[in-house]
Amino acid sequence: MKSQSGNPGGPTGTVLNIQRYCSHDGPGIRTTVFLKGCSLRCKWCGNPESIRFKPELAYDPRLCTGKKECGVCLKPPFPEGAFYVVEGADDKVHVNWDLATDCDEALVSLCPTNALSLYGKTMTVDEVLDEVEKDASFYRSSGGGITVSGGECLLQPDFTAALLEGAHKRGFNTAIETACNVPWAFVEKVLPHVDTMLHDHKLSIPERHKKWTGVSNERILANFKKAYETFPDIDFIARTPLIPGINADEEHIRAVLAFIRPHKNVIDYELLPYHRFGLGKYEHLGVVYELDDYKTPSEELVARLQAIIDEAFGRTDQKASAQK
Amino acid sequence: MSTEIGQGSFPSRIAIMVGAGFVPGMNAVVMGAALAAGKLGWEMVGIRDGFDGLLHPERYPEGGLVPLSPQLAENLDPAGGGILGQSARVDPFHVRTVNADEMVEEVDMSDELLKRLQAERIDALIAVVGGRGMSIFHKLHRKGVNAVCIPRSIENDIAATAVSFGFNSALSFTIEMLDRAHQAAQSARKIGVVEVLGEQAGWIALQAGIAVCADAVLIPEIPCDLQMVAARLKEKVTSRRPYGLVVVAEGAKLLDKPEATQPKASSLKDTLSPLATGDASEHVIQRSGQAAGTVATRLQLLIAEETFPLVLGAWARGGAPTSVDRQLGLGYGAGALRAVSAGTYGVMMAFVPPDIKFVPLAEAINKVRTVPADSEFVKIAQSLGICLGREI
Repeated sequence: MKSQSGNPGGPTGTVLNIQRYCSHDGPGIRTTVFLKGCSLRCKWCGNPESIRFKPELAYDPRLCTGKKECGVCLKPPFPEGAFYVVEGADDKVHVNWDLATDCDEALVSLCPTNALSLYGKTMTVDEVLDEVEKDASFYRSSGGGITVSGGECLLQPDFTAALLEGAHKRGFNTAIETACNVPWAFVEKVLPHVDTMLHDHKLSIPERHKKWTGVSNERILANFKKAYETFPDIDFIARTPLIPGINADEEHIRAVLAFIRPHKNVIDYELLPYHRFGLGKYEHLGVVYELDDYKTPSEELVARLQAIIDEAFGRTDQKASAQK
Repeated sequence: MSTEIGQGSFPSRIAIMVGAGFVPGMNAVVMGAALAAGKLGWEMVGIRDGFDGLLHPERYPEGGLVPLSPQLAENLDPAGGGILGQSARVDPFHVRTVNADEMVEEVDMSDELLKRLQAERIDALIAVVGGRGMSIFHKLHRKGVNAVCIPRSIENDIAATAVSFGFNSALSFTIEMLDRAHQAAQSARKIGVVEVLGEQAGWIALQAGIAVCADAVLIPEIPCDLQMVAARLKEKVTSRRPYGLVVVAEGAKLLDKPEATQPKASSLKDTLSPLATGDASEHVIQRSGQAAGTVATRLQLLIAEETFPLVLGAWARGGAPTSVDRQLGLGYGAGALRAVSAGTYGVMMAFVPPDIKFVPLAEAINKVRTVPADSEFVKIAQSLGICLGREI
């Protein structure tokens, strides 16, 4: 299996977004670098634009001035039939997503209003780190740094490893967010440069994991266990995206605790109530994403499950609330 | 797919497949095509579960292709819906697979599809698909597949045909349910707000709303002023008639709400590829019921009456086909064989009363058959005193 980035002149990566002032992606104030490409297809995914590896077309109809005023994308060199206007409706352009798949950066740049854009762009390690460096003072004062997320950041192992190594050289704390559904060789390449690894325990039962994410969790759990044992100096933080009706139950929480507690370098287990997923996208897209097909877990449910975690980690009520 | 049909030779084998999304009475189309093929002496096979029977035959111990002899076709129940089965996604350009490294990815299997068609000696392909399927078959036709499409749309939003297969069954069911909702509203002395199918086009809401003489019908084509609807309901809901019925298409738009908070499935659908968030996606489960909930709540705040939301949603996609859809299905199926025998490919069957014709796919895609402001149905609704949420 080749890694996704293989530029002989230094690894480049496909970056979806760089988000500053993050406070939930590791210790302190952080800048989170979202990479494109994921090897799971979680049905609740709040970041569908991060799933595919290649940069892909995005369209913001609010910026489109319509056929009469513009109409650039309705003519060559744009692919025939890729864009159209619905007679009788508004004058705005619609996208035929099945025929617009070949729109690249050069074509998208012809849109004068930026209604057309690309999700994801190729960046070098230094380009990313220069952006990250802008908040270096916050990292120093808060103990923060860079977090590489996705998609699945381990799918670009050469780039992620070089990025984190470079971050260390600049004195930044490093973290990754991963679901770890990758060959071990990818994990092994990146982890030497990681201070904190946030990792997802989405579902415990392999068949259910396959149903909701596309693959079983057997390789993922094997990777976690090997990572805990091979890299004792990394702080591992387990996480569960908590979705009522899918995994928000005691059975799953206790199964995860049974898996992680024997390993002393797993320092915490966090619950991510479902409603948090879209936050990054709101800012990125500038749109309201009403992703509540599943209900947000109630405060009572989260508190009950959190109490199980606190008990397993030997936290008293006072200590637990002080940590929050 | 190199047979020069229409220039002296004829296809030896024709396949039929059904795209994603269920509509009642799919067997009628299969039956029409198979019987017409038998009449011409041609062999017809059905592909199981979209393209899966062809691309993944190993999943089918009994074979991925179903022989559709005239004898078998004659014994099919035209009211039935599923001899070929369906797939959630029918896009050979983006087939979701789990690769050797246990990673999920979407791969382009269109070349493989062409090879499989050749290997199975399939010279022409008939596809029962909706609007998006047409675009995919337009691409496949450009790659050399001899394709004939049969339009299937619950919303009746495919522009090139007067009636898509499946619409009439959904309309009839919706009318029946609205009658029941009317009775429920009457007995409860409340205003029923019923959400019906129609994200882009309001044909079901408008025609069904007319059929049951609803008090108001809100459709995507006419952004609605709820103040006006409330005013009309205040006039109509009296102590002698203490109930009301409002029909809301799921894509209805409200004039006084910012675009970002319109009651629709997801505003992300406008900005992202359907591969990520659309109907065929597994990433976002559609939120049926939002339009009814929004309108019912807001009306209740505007008037002194109590409202209750009801959602038909997927109920309208099942059941037995109406006689119209059975006839249309058989007609489209048989008509597709006329296109094949004429060597006319890259086309969609279109019902242009009283004829069934062929329309090039290039002309059929990217057009949505919406309700025009001067539609006869709009005029009828106005004559009946049905509020459409705006002065037309």
